[in-house]
Amino acid sequence: MTASAAEQPWHAPGTTRRGTRTARVVVSAVLVSAAALAVLLVPPLFPLDQQAVDLTAKLSAPGADHLFGTDEVGRDVLLRSVYGLRVSLLVGLVAALVASGIGLAVGCAAGALGGRTDRVVMRLVDTFTAVPHLLMGIFIVAMFRPGVWPVVASVGLTHWVSTARIVRAEVLSLRARPFVDAAISGGASRLRVAARHLVPAVLPQAGLAAVLMVPHAIWHESALSFLGLGIPAHEASLGTMINGARGSLVTGEWWPTLFPGLFIVIPTLAIAGLAGAWRERINPRRRSELVL
Amino acid sequence: MNDASAARPPLLAVHELSVRFLMPGGRHVAAVNGVSFELAAGECLALVGESGCGKSVLASALLGLLPGNARTRGTALLGPDDRIDLLGAEETTLARTVRGRRAGLIPQSPAAHLTPVRTVRSQLEETVRELRDTRRGALRAAAEAAAARAAFPADHLDRYPHQLSGGLAQRAATALALVADAPLLIADEPTTGLDRDLVDRTVDELRRHTDEGHGLLVITHDLAAAARMADRVAVMYAGRIVEVATAADFFGAAGPRHPYARGLLDALPERAFAPIPGLPPELDALPEGCAFAARCDRATDICTTLPALTGGVACHHASEAVDA
Amino acid sequence: MLELEHITAGYVRGEPVVRELSLTVADGEAVGLLGPSGCGKSTLAKVAALLHRPFAGTVRLAGEPVRGFRYRAPRAQRTRIGVVFQQPRLAADPRLALRDLIAEPARATGRGQELAERAAALATEVGLGPELLGRRPHEVSDGQLQRACLARALLLRPSLLICDEMTAMLDASTTAALVAVVEDYRRENGAALLAVGHDRVLLRRWCDRVLDFPAVPATA
Repeated sequence: MTASAAEQPWHAPGTTRRGTRTARVVVSAVLVSAAALAVLLVPPLFPLDQQAVDLTAKLSAPGADHLFGTDEVGRDVLLRSVYGLRVSLLVGLVAALVASGIGLAVGCAAGALGGRTDRVVMRLVDTFTAVPHLLMGIFIVAMFRPGVWPVVASVGLTHWVSTARIVRAEVLSLRARPFVDAAISGGASRLRVAARHLVPAVLPQAGLAAVLMVPHAIWHESALSFLGLGIPAHEASLGTMINGARGSLVTGEWWPTLFPGLFIVIPTLAIAGLAGAWRERINPRRRSELVL
Repeated sequence: MNDASAARPPLLAVHELSVRFLMPGGRHVAAVNGVSFELAAGECLALVGESGCGKSVLASALLGLLPGNARTRGTALLGPDDRIDLLGAEETTLARTVRGRRAGLIPQSPAAHLTPVRTVRSQLEETVRELRDTRRGALRAAAEAAAARAAFPADHLDRYPHQLSGGLAQRAATALALVADAPLLIADEPTTGLDRDLVDRTVDELRRHTDEGHGLLVITHDLAAAARMADRVAVMYAGRIVEVATAADFFGAAGPRHPYARGLLDALPERAFAPIPGLPPELDALPEGCAFAARCDRATDICTTLPALTGGVACHHASEAVDA
Repeated sequence: MLELEHITAGYVRGEPVVRELSLTVADGEAVGLLGPSGCGKSTLAKVAALLHRPFAGTVRLAGEPVRGFRYRAPRAQRTRIGVVFQQPRLAADPRLALRDLIAEPARATGRGQELAERAAALATEVGLGPELLGRRPHEVSDGQLQRACLARALLLRPSLLICDEMTAMLDASTTAALVAVVEDYRRENGAALLAVGHDRVLLRRWCDRVLDFPAVPATA
């Protein structure tokens, strides 16, 4: 009786949006891997003397010798951009990690303990939010000698508040679920409920927040360096490069600012694209695709 | 009822419908397997079975609401005039001409189905505007008329969903489903989590909509509710329909004929209150033959072949005498 | 076993959903608490399970007054009570495989090794085969998940079992099967039962004594 139906092909219901979504993920992944490979492979192969200048070749337009041209003291923009990207990615990753770690700890503590602890901690978070990030970041770097680690500290200590808010809200909503009641009834301590049921459940969200923070951190670093407060001026960083070249922009030499700028924009967009795909993955509605 | 359906094509004709889910690792879950049934206008068919038997998946398939990893086979013709295949139709067609207009869904948890930040009135008016070409001035009256048809009290229209009791939320969701006067209504577990009074009221209202000419497909595990509203009962087990009978026969003196259906009725607290031993088979590892054989006290060698649904029952031993 | 005296409880002060309610469950007794949706019977069940602090009234468990609720209740008091909730989807941590879900109370009380065999035996008793125990909640049906939740509630051998609408989401056969598991357990261990629900026929059939929950005017 099923003979006729058995020969029919299986029909997939509406799947039109899937294609563009996959393309976006693939492009983002390729760009991020290319950036990662470049910053890992280029420095050992092509060492850069940060102090070297070649005034005979200053501000030469992009061409065969220098693909991205040279800057106002004759340094190769491509090579320096890759070195700058390395600093930016390093700062971005480490700072995002630090910020997310602080945010996760604070958010979990506030959410899981609740009551007075929650109120005090969240007022502190509000206070932090009230001060502009860049202003506080400048304040922090100003206390140290310019370098990579003060920048990391500056980003990490200012950007944790958003993660803390996300984590706290998530923990608060989880805390009211019956499975927490069941755990308490089964004899679990407050610490165990937090460690076993609450924290693991917010980790995907916190991880997503961390990834989305990498672009933030990169921009923050570039901004500090552009203002001359981040990475020392002679060292290649995307921010310092744009700062150094902004004079020549007026006279029509666009390449020393454009290429470092693209090196900021493209990786951050690619990272955000990957984070978007991740967000769709951890969306609970998609996680339980099979609803019986 | 049967005479009427013989004369014209039925409101809904499902033929050899199968749904499977592709899982990671090349596995697949066969949630619905070769299901066929018909539903006439003014008729209520109750699809009963335990949780995980595939009955909700069937409802989702009919409304085109399956997730992306689902694959379907077979046809589900929605008529009676201008027949459209619900399974083959494009998503845009379903969205523009079928859902809400020709097939309405009465959801399982009405409170979750309503938008929490908007009043019932604004949701009803929006639905009226979307589904019917109603002038702005007439919206209010149309929304109130829709509410009245679902017996939703007019003085509660300006409330938010969280201010409604379970019964009123159910009526609000029903009102939304009734806005465009869709000939086919699909109710997915409309009574789950409601207390007995509310179940009876909900069921009576659904019955009233059926009597007004809607075809109603009710998906439920609540046998008492099915007994109260259905004209016919289809019992689903492990993705297959194992018995179709009139409600009068099924719940009355004749009783169900499939051993699983008998077991289900015997498990009711007002009857023997005895569970069917064992668990249903997993839908990703269905046996070759009768899926119920492993739990059945009448299983014999012949049960290793799949029994066809003939004469309203899919059991090799259906014609044998029942020793109560 | 359990004495509730003049309990007033709710979620917003000044708007209690349970007012001045008293209830006693004797050792080994099965009490059914019957009431319509939203009447406050689930709140009362949470108070009885020491999971919700009432605004007023006293709770005594095995003659001893309960001084704290939730984390503040001594572990010994909490674990004397097993609880099964209405919606297994919400009562199960979505990340835990059924095997870990069932064993969770044993691990939380540091008795994971000692009770490993009992956890396995209970899984069989509620009808969950080994192939299901490795699955996570979203991979099983409501009925299968509720079976695991019942096994979890019985793991520490509670002397009082509280079932809050345990079978409201389940079909007739699964309902009968779970009630049979509860009754077997009670027969062997002499445990008491407080079953909260809205199905009069079911509670009459299941319990020694069925009480109608006093109607509280529903909030608008």
